[in-house]
Amino acid sequence: MVDTTKNIKMYTTYGTKSAKPVQPKISAKLISKAKRPLLVVSSAVLDEELLKRAVSIAKKTGMQVAATSTSIKGFLNEDVKAKYINIHALATYLGDVNWTGLDGEGHYDLIIVLAHKKYYINQVLSGLKNFTDLTTLSIDRHYLQNASMSFGNLKPEVHLEALDELIENL
Amino acid sequence: MSKISTGSFSIEELENVQITIGSIVGAIEKKAEDEGEMGPTPKPGISGLRDWDHKLLNRYEPVYTPMCDQCCYCTFGTCDLTGNKEGACGIDMKTHQAREFLLRVITGAAAHAGHGRHLLHHLIETHGADHPIDVGPTNIKAPVIQTVTGIKPETIGDLEPVLDYVEEQLTQLLATIHAGQEGAAIDFESKAMHGGMIDHVGMEVSDIAQISCLGMPKADSEAPLAEIGMGSIDSTKPVLLCIGHNVAGVTYIMDYMEEHDLTDKIELAGLCCTAIDMTRYQMDNGGTPTAKIVGSLAKELKYIRSGIPDVIVVDEQCVRADVLQEAQALSIPVICTNEKIMYGLPNRTKDDVDDILNDLASGKEAGALVLEFEKLGELAPRLVMEVAPIRKEKGITALPTDEEFKELTNKCVHCLVCEMACPMNLPISDAMTAAADGDLTPFEILHDKCIACGRCEQECPKDIDILNVIEKASQKVIREEKGMMRAGRGQVSDPEIREEGVNLVLGTTPGIVAMVGCSNYPDGTKDLYDIAKEMLKRSYIVVVSGCTAMDLGMYKNEEGKTLYEEFSGSFLKGNLLNVGSCVSNSHITATTIKVAAIFAQRNVTGNFEEIADYVTNRVGAVGIAWGAYSQKAASIGTGCTRLGVPVILGPHGSKYRRALIGKPYDSDKWSVYDARNGEELAIPAAPDYLITTVDNAEEIMPMLAKSCIRPTDNNMGRMIKLTHYIELSKKYLGIMPDDWHTFVRTETDLPLAKREELLKILETEHGWEIDWKKKKILSGPTMKFDVSAQPTNLKRLCKEA
Repeated sequence: MVDTTKNIKMYTTYGTKSAKPVQPKISAKLISKAKRPLLVVSSAVLDEELLKRAVSIAKKTGMQVAATSTSIKGFLNEDVKAKYINIHALATYLGDVNWTGLDGEGHYDLIIVLAHKKYYINQVLSGLKNFTDLTTLSIDRHYLQNASMSFGNLKPEVHLEALDELIENL
Repeated sequence: MSKISTGSFSIEELENVQITIGSIVGAIEKKAEDEGEMGPTPKPGISGLRDWDHKLLNRYEPVYTPMCDQCCYCTFGTCDLTGNKEGACGIDMKTHQAREFLLRVITGAAAHAGHGRHLLHHLIETHGADHPIDVGPTNIKAPVIQTVTGIKPETIGDLEPVLDYVEEQLTQLLATIHAGQEGAAIDFESKAMHGGMIDHVGMEVSDIAQISCLGMPKADSEAPLAEIGMGSIDSTKPVLLCIGHNVAGVTYIMDYMEEHDLTDKIELAGLCCTAIDMTRYQMDNGGTPTAKIVGSLAKELKYIRSGIPDVIVVDEQCVRADVLQEAQALSIPVICTNEKIMYGLPNRTKDDVDDILNDLASGKEAGALVLEFEKLGELAPRLVMEVAPIRKEKGITALPTDEEFKELTNKCVHCLVCEMACPMNLPISDAMTAAADGDLTPFEILHDKCIACGRCEQECPKDIDILNVIEKASQKVIREEKGMMRAGRGQVSDPEIREEGVNLVLGTTPGIVAMVGCSNYPDGTKDLYDIAKEMLKRSYIVVVSGCTAMDLGMYKNEEGKTLYEEFSGSFLKGNLLNVGSCVSNSHITATTIKVAAIFAQRNVTGNFEEIADYVTNRVGAVGIAWGAYSQKAASIGTGCTRLGVPVILGPHGSKYRRALIGKPYDSDKWSVYDARNGEELAIPAAPDYLITTVDNAEEIMPMLAKSCIRPTDNNMGRMIKLTHYIELSKKYLGIMPDDWHTFVRTETDLPLAKREELLKILETEHGWEIDWKKKKILSGPTMKFDVSAQPTNLKRLCKEA
C-alpha cells in the first residue's frame, strides 16, 4: 500500500482552503461511486507508463476522457471514450450548467485530473473551486491545493504504484 | 486670456514683445473636425467604449482562475473570498479578480507610457518639438493614436497632448482600484480593455518618437541583421552590458564610442528591449549594427553570473531587482540611468565624470546613479576600458571550477525542494545525479528551459548555487548560442497594406500570426522557432517583437540560416517581420487599423468602435504571447482584444487570472448584423476566445489556423484556412477537428484535394444532403455564403438603423 497523503508541502499558497490529501483506495471508491466522472488528462500522459494507467482507468470505469493538449494522440488506438478539448475551454464549459458535456449526455459530477503541468492545472482547479460546485480529485504526482482532494507530492515511481493501487480498487 | 482659433492671424503695433507659443490647444482635433473626419469617440473616457466592450464580453465571457483566494487591499482585510464570497467592502471574488486583472493591465500600460513620457521629454529637448514624425512611407503616421484620440500628429511635439490623454486615463483607471467602488466584474473588464487600448497609444507614442529622432529603420523590410546569443559576445574585449527597455541613454554611449574610435574596441551587448533598440539606432540608412544582443530576461542572471560583463548599465522595466548585488559580488560596476531603478545608489549626476570613474573603477562604490546622458555617454565606455583588463586578469566569475562542480553535484541530497520551488518544476534532481556521473546532457536540456529566476537557490537546504551548476554544465551549449535577428523595422507601410490588404480580408493570405511577449516559456525557446516556421511555410504573415523576436533568431535550419535569413521581411504572405521592441507592439494593432483605413477606406479618426468592429469581422489576425510573464504583456494582449484580435498565451498565462472564452455551443452568441439591411447573420464560432491559454506548442498550431477564420472569407480564403486547420490538427493532434464542418458554407469552402472525402463525411456523420452528381451541398450548413454581406456588430452602421 502506498501512502499518498504524507507530503503535502507547498511552495506557495492560494489561501486558506486546501485539498484534502487522499489515498489511492479512497480515490478509487470516489470514482466508482460517481455517476458522471470525467478524467481530464494532459500531454504528460504520453509517457508510456502513465498512459498505460490512464487507459486502464478509462477502460475499467468506462468514463469519458477529456484529452487536453496533445494527450489525445495516446488514445487514438485505444477503446476508450476520449475527446480532445483545450483545457481552458473545458474549465469554462464546466462552469456552465447548460453545457451537456463532451458526449452531449449531461454535466459531470466528479472531475479527476492526471498528467498536467502543476502550475497550469492548479489555475484551472482554482476556477472550479471558486466558481462551481464540482468535486475535483487530483491523482497527479504533485499535491494540488486547489483540488477538492489530492494525492500528496510523490516521486515518479511511487506515483505509478499509487495509480496501480487505485486501478486495482476500481 | 482669450482663446485664438486655428488659422493665421497678425498682431500689429507691438514692439519688443517676445511671444512664445507652447502648444495650440486642440488645433489638430479642430482641423479634423473641420474636415468632417472626426469620428464619434475622440479621446474616449472610461465609459466611452463601454457598449463595445459589453458586446465583446457577452460573446467572450470572462473566466476567472484566481492566483490568490484572499484580498489584502485595505485594512478591513485580509478577507477570504474563496467560493466567490464577499469581502468586508462588499466585493466578491469574481469582481476582485477582474480588479486584479485591471491592475495588471494599467501597470503594464503605465510602464510603456512612463517610458514614452521619458523619451518624449528627452527627444523634444534634444530635437525640438517641431521635429517631424517620420516613420516611413505612410499617410497615417500614427494609426492607433489617430483612431483612439482623433489626433493626427505631424511633429513629436504633437505627441504631448496624446500622452496627456494617456496619463489622465491611467490615473482615472488607477483610481477605480481603490477599495469600495465598482461592484460589477464586467465593468472592471471594460476598464481593463480601456487600459489595454490606452497602452497601445502610449507604445505608439514611444516608438514613433524614437523612430523619428534616433534614426531607426522606417518601415524597412530589409532592416539589417544583428548578432544574438551568449555565444556571439566576444569576451576577450571589454564587455559593456546594457539592460532594460529605454535606449535613450545608451545612444549617448554609442555616440561616444563612435566619436572616440572605441566601437571596435568595446563589445557593446544588450539584454531585453534596450538591446533590440540598440540594433535599430542609426540604422535607417543601412549599415550593420555594432551592438550585439545577449537575449531576453531569462539570460539576465545567467549572463551576469558568467562574469563576462565588465560594466553594467541599467535603464528601466524588465531588469532584475538584484542586479546590483549579483554584480557587486563579481566586481562589476553598475550604472543606473533612469529614476525607475536606482538601487539605493548615490546620485552622482552632478559630479565630475573623472570622480565617478575613479570611485567605480577602484571599487570604492559598487555603482552610481547618473541621470545625465552626456555624462553617461562618456563614463560607461571609459569605465569599461579601465576595469576590463583588471577583471579579465583576475578571471572573475561566479561559475564553479571543474572540481567545485563535482563537489556541488555530489552535495545534492535529492530532497526535491528545488523542483517544487522551480516555477516549471524542472527535473533538477535527476540532472544532478547524471552530472555527478559525468553526463551533462540533462543539464544542457534544462539550460534552455530554465528562466534563471534563482528560486531553486533560495530553497536549497545544502546551499547549492543551482543556477551556476546549470550554467557551468552547459558551457558547450552556451558557446554555440549564436544567431541572427533582423533589427526592428517599425511600422508596416501604406504601399504594403495596399498590396496585401485584399488578400487578408478575403482570406487568400490565411492570416497574420503576431508573436509577442516575454520569455516565460513552458518548454524552452525552440517552440517559437517551430511555431513561426510552421506558419511561415503555410504562407501566414508572421510578425514578431520583443523577447520573441530575439529568441526566434537563436535557431537555424540545416543550411545554417535563421528564420530571418530564410524568410523575407515584407508585409506579404509567408514573410517574417520584426517590428521592434516592446513599444513596437503598437505597430501590430496599427497594421490592422491600416487595413481598415487603406483597403476598406474606413475613416479611422476618433472612430475606434467602427474600426474594432471591422477588424473583428474581417482581419484574420491572431496574437501569441507564448512566454508572457509581465504586466506589460497583459496590457498589450488586452489592447489587442478590444480591437478584435484574439490572443493565445502559453500555460503560464493562466496566472493572469482571467481569460475571455466563448461557448460555440451557445448559438445565440454567434451572429452579427448585415450592414446592408440590419438582418441577423450567423457567423462561425471562430475565434472562439479572445484571450485563452494552451498547454504546448503542438496544441497551438491548429488553434492558430482556426483563429484566423473570419465571416468575410471568400470561398478560396475559407478553403485555404480550413485546409490549414484540418492539416495542422491531423499533424499535431492526430485527429480531424470535430468542429471543421461548422465552418463550411458551400462545397467550394472545402479543401479541393479532399472535397469528395469531406462531402462523404458531411453526409454520413453530420446528415448533410449532398447532390453527388454535381458534388454540391444541398442542405446542412448553418451559414450561407454571400459575397456581398457586410458583417457588423454595430446596429448603428446598418442601413436600416
